[in-house]
Order: sequence, then structure tokens, then C-alpha cells
Amino acid sequence: MPSFFVDNGFLIISMILAAVLALSLYVPMMAGQLSLASPGFYSLGGYIAAYMSTRVFHSVGGAFPVPLLLLEMAIAGFASGVLALVVGIPALRLRGIYLALATIAFVEILRVLALTEGLEAITGGAVGVFNIPQPFATKLSYLWVAAPLLLISMFLVYRIERIRVGRAFIAIRADELAAAAMGINPTYYKVLAFTIGAILAGVVGALYAHLLNTWNARQGTFDAAINFLAFVLIGGSRTFVGPVVGALVLTALPELLRALGDLGFLPGWLAQSLSDGRLIIYGVLIAVGAVFFPQGLITPDLLQRRRAGGRTPKQSEIAQ
Amino acid sequence: MTQPTASRADTSEQTATAAGLLEITTMSRRFGGLVAVDDVSFSVRKGEIFGLIGPNGAGKTTMFNLITGLMPPSSGRLCYKGEDITGLRPHQIAARGIARTFQNVRLFGDLSALLNVMIARHSHTSGGITGVLGGVFGLPPGPAEERATKQKALELLDLVGLADRAAVQARNFSYGDQRRLEIARALALEPSLLLLDEPAAGMNPNEKQALSSFIRDMRAQFNLTVLLIEHHVPLVMGLCDRIAVMDFGHLIALGEPANVQNDPAVIEAYLGDG
Repeated sequence: MPSFFVDNGFLIISMILAAVLALSLYVPMMAGQLSLASPGFYSLGGYIAAYMSTRVFHSVGGAFPVPLLLLEMAIAGFASGVLALVVGIPALRLRGIYLALATIAFVEILRVLALTEGLEAITGGAVGVFNIPQPFATKLSYLWVAAPLLLISMFLVYRIERIRVGRAFIAIRADELAAAAMGINPTYYKVLAFTIGAILAGVVGALYAHLLNTWNARQGTFDAAINFLAFVLIGGSRTFVGPVVGALVLTALPELLRALGDLGFLPGWLAQSLSDGRLIIYGVLIAVGAVFFPQGLITPDLLQRRRAGGRTPKQSEIAQ
Repeated sequence: MTQPTASRADTSEQTATAAGLLEITTMSRRFGGLVAVDDVSFSVRKGEIFGLIGPNGAGKTTMFNLITGLMPPSSGRLCYKGEDITGLRPHQIAARGIARTFQNVRLFGDLSALLNVMIARHSHTSGGITGVLGGVFGLPPGPAEERATKQKALELLDLVGLADRAAVQARNFSYGDQRRLEIARALALEPSLLLLDEPAAGMNPNEKQALSSFIRDMRAQFNLTVLLIEHHVPLVMGLCDRIAVMDFGHLIALGEPANVQNDPAVIEAYLGDG
């Protein structure tokens, strides 16, 4: 294994998991719902894995068994799905920015709950949970779980986009009232999209807790939601390829910028601010992207023209 | 144009007899102090073309919104095929076979004409766990249903003469074509009752004439009952079997075109000033 990959193992896994998290935000957005709840479910999934692997499964030395890791991910996904149903049915009566605000509040409530004294026995309070056992010897080996997770998630969303469920989502995004008049139950499909997103986020949280070795209330906060949102909006919100590419690129970007800075041909202050000011850069990119690429960099139109082997992406952007 | 598919199996024959396909009983709708629909009762018989006319603000579109469940009535009852559907949600009413078009066309503008029609096949494809898994993993009946959905949508586009532009985004169609696409989308629900809200708005006399015969053809082909709102009086008089006239939320006349045309109340309220 080339040492480059081993050295950057953590970054590579982070990129892949970021792509799944971006999909978790993208699925509700397919149905026109701006939900920023993903970090909440991500946090919940992480706590479930942290608790189970340190308290429930007593691993006897050596590596943490991978089947148990998968079991934790399944439980985290299930719990997130159930919570999403409970939260989603009332919350999805709200529209647009009000839904976004409600989901931010949801993330905050979970964060504060994690810090309360009553739950300290489970969450470890402000300190969090430490020494989460490692199923793999190196960070890069997490690929065995992370890569299939991303591929399965991508396949799922790719297929959903092309079938009845996806058409219902898209119809609700386009015109909820007209969709209802065509026999589509808006509440059902909005809750379904929200729940699929929540499950993806919860599963990633469980894996991330192991990857990070520790879990606390600083994981899965509001600014994480802004990161995920940036992945989707900059990558593209009209095809599942957009969020995946957006997440991969934007997660790698700060590290690339840092590496560029180390190479020495960028002034030190610039390199420093580029790598540290990630949120500022994201903010600027979202604002600029919203003006020049309202559907993100990767659009269905672009993909179609590429597949047809026609013109360059740039021209198709203009033509659109 | 190809001939459309064979007519559906009709389950309504026994249930909706002389009582009428759609029964509206003492229905009212208030917005604050304004009474948009005031104690209106009428029934639409199976197979007829029923016109709902009246001056602007008479409550016609509100009536449509009440029938399709987009808003609940303040009081009154709505029966369809003998079943009380008052208070049902829009998607439930659509799934029972009441389809509509909108006065200010509400297509899914970003989506292709084909996708617009395919979306309306929703109630006729399997949902639930089998539908989702079948769709995602390509298991039966998923792929066959997807093919059938696309096939049916193309047939309907062909029927309204838009098949050659199936891939074009709905927003890029002319106004008249958007109206026809909306009708194709409504027909995809395989409705028994079709509600058309000012289908001739913005059309020239020739197009209006063509629309009249198109609506008659549709009724024959799909075994439809049609309820339509229209301002253009000659069109309504020539097309409709019966007409209801509304004014300020009240039903002021109901009957065959010739009788309604000579009704003094109607002449005063509506026909008299035009």
C-alpha cells in the first residue's frame, strides 16, 4: 500500500463519510425539504456506538469485531429512523426556512440533552466517551466498511431518483399542491425522505465514533450542518452525484490548501487562512454558487451531455 | 395520433346510479367574513358534461378547491360514487378518481412533459415496501410497472398531440400546450370525474372549437364525467349538457343550457351584462 494513502487514511475515510452525510441532507432536499437535522442523527448514532462498544460489548483485547461494528451501525440507523418518524411527522408541517430552523433547534436539543447530568452515565457529559475500541489496525482499513457504505447509499439514491418514490419526491419539490392533486401524499413522502436521510446520518455517526476513537457533544453541531449543506449546494442539488462530489472535494480542500501552503509557493498567511477559514470559504462559496450555479456545479443536464459525449461542461452550463 | 388504450373497467356503474356521481349538499365556505360559497347543492350525473359558470368572484374555483379537498368546507357534505368524501385530503380524493386542472396552470415546470404525466400515474403503481424495494432493486413488479407507466404517459402525450416533445421541460411549452399537457396529466390518474378550470382561457376561437370536440372525444374514450368552469358563454352553451350558474357564492340557476340562458336571474347576474 503506497504510504501516501496510509498517511492520509483518516482524510480519505472522512471524505467518504462526508459524502454519505451529504446524501443524508440531499434526500430530504429531493422532496423539497431543507432539513439541517443530519448532525443530530449523526450525533445520536455516534453515542449509540460509543456506548455499546465501551459498555455493552466487552471486547477482550485485540481488535473490535467488525460484525459488532456493523450491528452498532444497524442499531444506530434503526434508532435514527424511529426518532426521525417521531420528529418528522410534526416538524414537516413546517415549510422552507421554518423547517430549517426547527431542525437546527432539534440538533441543539440533542446536544444539550447529551450534556445534561441525567444522561452523563451514557454520554459522558461534557467530557464525552473515550477509548472507543478500534476494529481496524489503521485508519485506512476503515475503507472496508466506509466504501461499501458509500456505494450502497449512492446506489440507493440513484435508484430512488429513477422510480415512483423519487418521482413523488420531485413532484413535491416542484409543486406540493399539484402533487397532492395528482394522488401523492405529501406528508408521507416528506417524512419518508426525512427518515431515509436520518438513517444514513445515524449509520455514519456510529462508524465515525470508532474512527475518531472518542465521541462528545461537539460532534454533530450546527456548523456541521452548514458543512453538509455546502457539500450539497456547491456540488449540486439536482442529482445524487452533486453532493457526493461536493463532499469529497470540499473535505479534501482544506488539507490540499494546507499542503499547498507547506510547499511554500503561497504566502504563509494566505495558506493559513485558506486552511483555517474553511467555514468562511464555504460561506463565500455558497453565496457565490447560489448566484452563478443555482443548481450546483454538477447538474443532471451536465451529466446527460457528458454521457452523450457532446460538448464540454462549460458550454452546457452556458446553454442551460 | 394513435387511438388510446382500451377503456378501464368501470366499478362505478352500480354505486352511482340515479343519485349522481358527485353529490354536493348544502356546502358553504367562509373566509373570515366573506362567504365564498353559500349553501350550494347540486349533483353531477355520470357521463355528463356539466358547466359551472358565473361572474368573477362568484365562487367557482373555490367550489373546485372544495371538491378536490384543497380546502375543507365550512359546512356541507360531499359524496362521490355514494361515498362521503367530505374532509378527505387532496391525494385521497385524487386516488378515488377525481382529477383536475388549474386555472393558473400548475405543471411541474422544471420537469419534462413525460415526467409530468408519469408522476400522475402514482396511484396506479404499487407503493409501500414492495413498491420501494421492487423499484430500488429492480424486482418484479418494479421494472414492468415502470415500463407500463412510461408507455401510458407517452400514449396520453400522443392523445394531446405532444408526444414529439415528451422530453421538453413543461415551462418551455406555449400557454395552450401547457393547458393540454395539464389535461394529459389529469387523464393519467384514470379519473371518472375530470374537473377543468377554465380550459379555454387564452385560446383563440379556432382552438376553442377544437377544445370543445376534444372534450367530447375524451368523454367518449375514457368514459368520463366532466365538470368545467368556463367564462366563454358560447363554448359552454354548445358543449355542456347541464349548467349551474353561481353569483356571489349562491347557486342561482341550474338546468339545460337553453333554460338557463332564459332565466331572468341569470340574465341579470351574468349574461345580461355581456
